[in-house]
Amino acid sequence: MTRSVVHDDPTRLVHAYVDGELDPANALALETRMATDAGLAAECERVDALQRLIRQRLPREAPPPGLRARIEASVGMRRPRVQPTWRALAASIALTAMVASGATSIVLTPTSLVRAPDRTDTVRDAVVAGHIRSLMAPQPFDVASSDKHTVKPWFNGKIPEAPRVVDLARDDFPLAGGRLDVVGQTPAPTLVYRHRKHLISLTAVPAAGQATTAPVLRTLGGYNVLDWTEDGIAYWAISDMAAADLDKFATLFRAASPDQ
Amino acid sequence: MTIVSIHADRAMARQVVWSGDRPGDPIQTSRRDGDTAMATGEDDKARFARIVLPHLADAYSLARWITGNRTDADDVVQDACLRAFRAIWSTADGNPRAWVLTIVRNTAYTWLRKNRPAALVGVEDLEAVENAQAAHGDAEAETPETALIAKTDSAHLEAAIAALPAPFRETLVLRDVQGLSYREIAEVTGVPIGTVMSRLARGRSQLIKSIGRKAS
Repeated sequence: MTRSVVHDDPTRLVHAYVDGELDPANALALETRMATDAGLAAECERVDALQRLIRQRLPREAPPPGLRARIEASVGMRRPRVQPTWRALAASIALTAMVASGATSIVLTPTSLVRAPDRTDTVRDAVVAGHIRSLMAPQPFDVASSDKHTVKPWFNGKIPEAPRVVDLARDDFPLAGGRLDVVGQTPAPTLVYRHRKHLISLTAVPAAGQATTAPVLRTLGGYNVLDWTEDGIAYWAISDMAAADLDKFATLFRAASPDQ
Repeated sequence: MTIVSIHADRAMARQVVWSGDRPGDPIQTSRRDGDTAMATGEDDKARFARIVLPHLADAYSLARWITGNRTDADDVVQDACLRAFRAIWSTADGNPRAWVLTIVRNTAYTWLRKNRPAALVGVEDLEAVENAQAAHGDAEAETPETALIAKTDSAHLEAAIAALPAPFRETLVLRDVQGLSYREIAEVTGVPIGTVMSRLARGRSQLIKSIGRKAS
């Protein structure tokens, strides 16, 4: 408040004082006045108590979970989610059967058809964001090395457990380096592999207690994303290379022994 | 900012060519999507994501306090976001939150007028409400002690805020729940700062008394 409020109702000034909206001269004048006016001082205490009460007790309510998605759909930022029809249901049953058979299934369907849980969507968005960001950075990794004995120890001391690092250079997927992405609030180790001109980010997200799943392919923002869960870790491979190559990479990574 | 100056130059050039207005006047030309998009490389959706989406929680909270229920708040926020999207180039980058909340507030009242006219009885004439509040109520109720205020539970507090007349309620929510400055509240609610001050003082003392009544 810059204008003079000296002649205002002193009770109103108390509110502005508690809100830090009085200029220093008026604040000082009010403090002097409150020192002798018990009524004003009590009003000041009550306002202060009310604000504390509101901060501590008033429940904070988050917007309903689907609101953001509906808004994004309404302005064309994403396709509206279709309600599962019998056709989608049949497709997802077929998908489950394929996954259960143990084969690496490549399923090129719109993501709206294979409806993944929201938590998985969040993780997927975070790992894809990590990949995109890495491509814009001066280099896509924080430790640059094709030697797994250099990359793996780099993670030690930064996160509780270094990720599984395998050497796939013989199969034309040389290791390029590693970095730490953040998924939610959890640091997630990411290995960067090369395949010809393409880069692959392989992010390992802790998923303790989650069942093993075979790789499932999706596309997001022009990237192929392949995820699977193994030994309590959800692996996310992201790349702009062909789906078949990414699938080959995943197969090789899963088959390779880390100790070779 | 370079974006603004590019923009101003173009607008100025247009003004000179078309109207020859006094150069010192504020520029009132409507923005064309192409101009800013070209200057920043940002499209409508990216701008919406940057300016509007971060304030979704505040938008929802304000809509809920104005409409009084979640379903209505949901509708209001969706409607407000569409309006914000259509007007996304009409705002400068100054204070996106105040801009978004202004749209949410206006949408909420328009929505209530259309769908819940009963909820607005007496609210249209703000002055009458304030005078009525000042005339009765303030004098008779006892003012509780500070210790009593601190003991109020969440449910009572929420009900007491919900019971405030709309102009007091929205001012109090914007200040004490969402932490806006008086200047921002004046912008969002479209009243002078002096009115913000008096609404806050009246709203809070009414709230304090209502808490006291429940506790005693």
